[in-house]
Formats: sequence, C-alpha cells, structure tokens
Amino acid sequence: MTQQSRQQQPTQQQPIALVVGASRGIGRATAIEMAAHGYRVVGWYRSDAAADAEVARQIADDGGWYQGRRTDITDQQQVREGLSDLRRTDGSLQAVIVSAGITRDGLAGTMSLEAFTGVLQTNLVGSFLVARGALRAMRKHGGSIVLMSSTSGIRGQAGQTNYAASKGGVIAMTQALAKEAAPLGIRVNSLAPGFVDTDMFRAMDPRTRASVTDHIPLGRVGRPAEIARAARFLAGPDSSYITGQTLVIDGGMTS
Amino acid sequence: MPSQPQLDAATRRFELNTSLRSLLLSGLDLPDDPEHVDFDEPLFGRGLELDSLDTLEIVSILEEEFGVLVSDEDRTIFGSINKLADVIEAEQQ
Ligand SMILES: NC(=O)c1ccc[n+]([C@@H]2O[C@H](COP(=O)([O-])OP(=O)(O)OC[C@H]3O[C@@H](n4cnc5c(N)ncnc54)[C@H](OP(=O)(O)O)[C@@H]3O)[C@@H](O)[C@H]2O)c1
Repeated sequence: MTQQSRQQQPTQQQPIALVVGASRGIGRATAIEMAAHGYRVVGWYRSDAAADAEVARQIADDGGWYQGRRTDITDQQQVREGLSDLRRTDGSLQAVIVSAGITRDGLAGTMSLEAFTGVLQTNLVGSFLVARGALRAMRKHGGSIVLMSSTSGIRGQAGQTNYAASKGGVIAMTQALAKEAAPLGIRVNSLAPGFVDTDMFRAMDPRTRASVTDHIPLGRVGRPAEIARAARFLAGPDSSYITGQTLVIDGGMTS
Repeated sequence: MPSQPQLDAATRRFELNTSLRSLLLSGLDLPDDPEHVDFDEPLFGRGLELDSLDTLEIVSILEEEFGVLVSDEDRTIFGSINKLADVIEAEQQ
C-alpha cells in the first residue's frame, strides 16, 4: 500500500526542530536561527550543561522556545530515549539538524585506533543513529534531515584521516539516505563548511589558523550564523526540491 | 483446569495480541476488519502484502509503543502477530 511517494504533509501543529550539538558553535547558532524562525527547538548536547543553559537563555530572551537535553549520540540507548522524550513534546517534528562533531587530529602513522574509531563513532555512527531515529519519527508526515560534513570530507587534509573519513562518509551516507527517505517525504542533505570561527576552529594549531585565510578567496573564516542560515534553508520548505546534496560553505576555498 | 495465574497470562497475551493487531492495521493503513487478521497469519508474502516501508512502520511501532528495539535482520519475528508479541513479552519480562 505504501508504494507511491508520500508528500510532506502540511500540519497545523507547531513545527519542531531537533538540533544536535546545540550547546556550542554551529549547532548553537542553528538553534538560535531556527527558534527565531518560529520552530520549537529541542537541542541535544553531550556534556556542557552551562553552555546549553546559555543557549536556552538567549532564545528565551528573544521570545523563542527551546528545550535542551543531555544526549550523547554515540550511545544508541540515549538517542532512543531522547527521541522518545521528543515524541511527548507538543508539535510536529519537521527538521533534524545534526551538528555534533569532534576532531582528534594526528598523523595516521602514529594515530591510536581509539582516536580513529572515536571520531567515526561521533561524526558518522552518531549521525546515523540520529538519522535512523528521525526516519522513524517523521515517517508519517515527512520532514528534512541536515547532516554536517566538512570540506575535509571532500578533500582530505594531512593529520585528519579519522575526521576526513568520517566526513566523507557523511556525504555518501546523505546520498544513500536521501534515496531511501524520499518515498516517505523526507529530504536528506548535508552541509560542508570550510573554516568556521568556533571552539573547534580555535582549538587548531595557531600557525595553521593564522594561515588559513590565505586560501580563502573571501579572505576570512566563516561565522557560525552563516552556516546556520544554510542549515535553516535545507531544513525548511524553501529547499523542497533539494535532496541528497552537500552544500559547500567555505568562502570559495574549494572553488 | 488452568490455574488463575495461567488464565491471567492468557488474558494478558490476548490483550497484547489484540492491541498489537489494531496498532499494525492502523499504522499500515490497512482497511481490514481486525477480526479478519489471524494472529498466526504471515505478515509478509502469503498473508498481508507488506513492503519495506511497512517493515519500517512495524519496527517503529514496536519501539514507540512497546520500547522494543528490533531491526530488519530479525526476519523471523515479522512472521506473524504472535511472533511479534513473543518478542515484546520476552523484552518486557
Ligand atoms: N568549526 C569548523 O571550522 C568546522 C568546519 C567544518 C565542519 N565543521 C563541523 O560542524 C559541526 C559543528 O562544529 P563546531 O565547530 O560548531 O564544533 P564545537 O564548537 O566543538 O561544538 C560541537 C558541538 O557538538 C556537541 N557534541 C559533540 N559530541 C557529541 C556527542 N557525542 N553527542 C552529542 N553532542 C555532541 C558538543 O556538545 P558539548 O558542548 O556538550 O561538548 C557541541 O555542542 C561538526 O560536525 C564539525 O565537524 C566545523
């Protein structure tokens, strides 16, 4: 009976956006962006409750709706519990944006297995666990999933075999998921930022950080809000005919 | 004569089967009269005609309504309503 494509159904309920990795950086900016555009935002973070409270405060000050939850996406059980909580939230889950990600840079020849698998576990397996739950949660009414890749997933950088593998994996996974999810009226896309001014960027070696702008035609690193606006575009109805794509946002670096 | 605990267990099982059947029929948008779907009827193939999206629906219903995580690799449990109920009972013990 479910052979023909389902269309994303307009719903009277308030749209909910789940933003994973909402406590800091790009995820934080995305939570604020989504809330400013009328979504009820549920934000997941790994451990930084103080940063999450700060996001909650800012969104509340702006008159928006936000609920933070500590949910480690490397843990299948926590993802299940988080989604089960979300089902009890008033509204309809329309958008899922996964910004959670980590780096553990080092040269492959000396990298520990744990450093390699740890990065894959968060960036790739974690994204899969959230996407799997999102397919189930949105299967009846459709929606949009936005995953976070990186320009490092398109062109691997020395010192990032683990990170590059995880982000390249996200791009391929996005394409596969998009094909599977289309009959459910669910679109799946990803973003590939270049350098963005967040804690992750500031943790980079200062010399590399200082030299990156030499390779960026726009002459500066990106701001989290610039990625957040693209996330909102892909997450919402303005991108209704786009699926399976990775949008590069890098100031022209890879052009 | 069955003992009282045996009768209670049988009643609980009948209720589980019945609620599972109505959840599946409405989740899968099947117009069937619930009484016409036998608890032992194969869910795929010869019985109800279900596809991969329907598998997703069943997996989702088990998780959302009963907190039970199964995957499409657990092929045999999709055999019938009774088989699904066995899994739910085993998880809930
Ligand atoms: N910044 C860049 O230059 C850049 C460039 C390309 C791609 N990206 C990608 O963009 C995404 C966001 O990066 P960012 O710079 O905003 O990073 P960030 O500032 O380090 O923030 C990472 C966020 O992810 C959360 N997180 C990490 N592991 C998690 C887990 N296992 N479960 C749940 N949440 C988890 C963190 O929570 P806590 O606060 O609790 O730790 C935090 O909210 C990442 O996927 C990153 O790879 C970043």
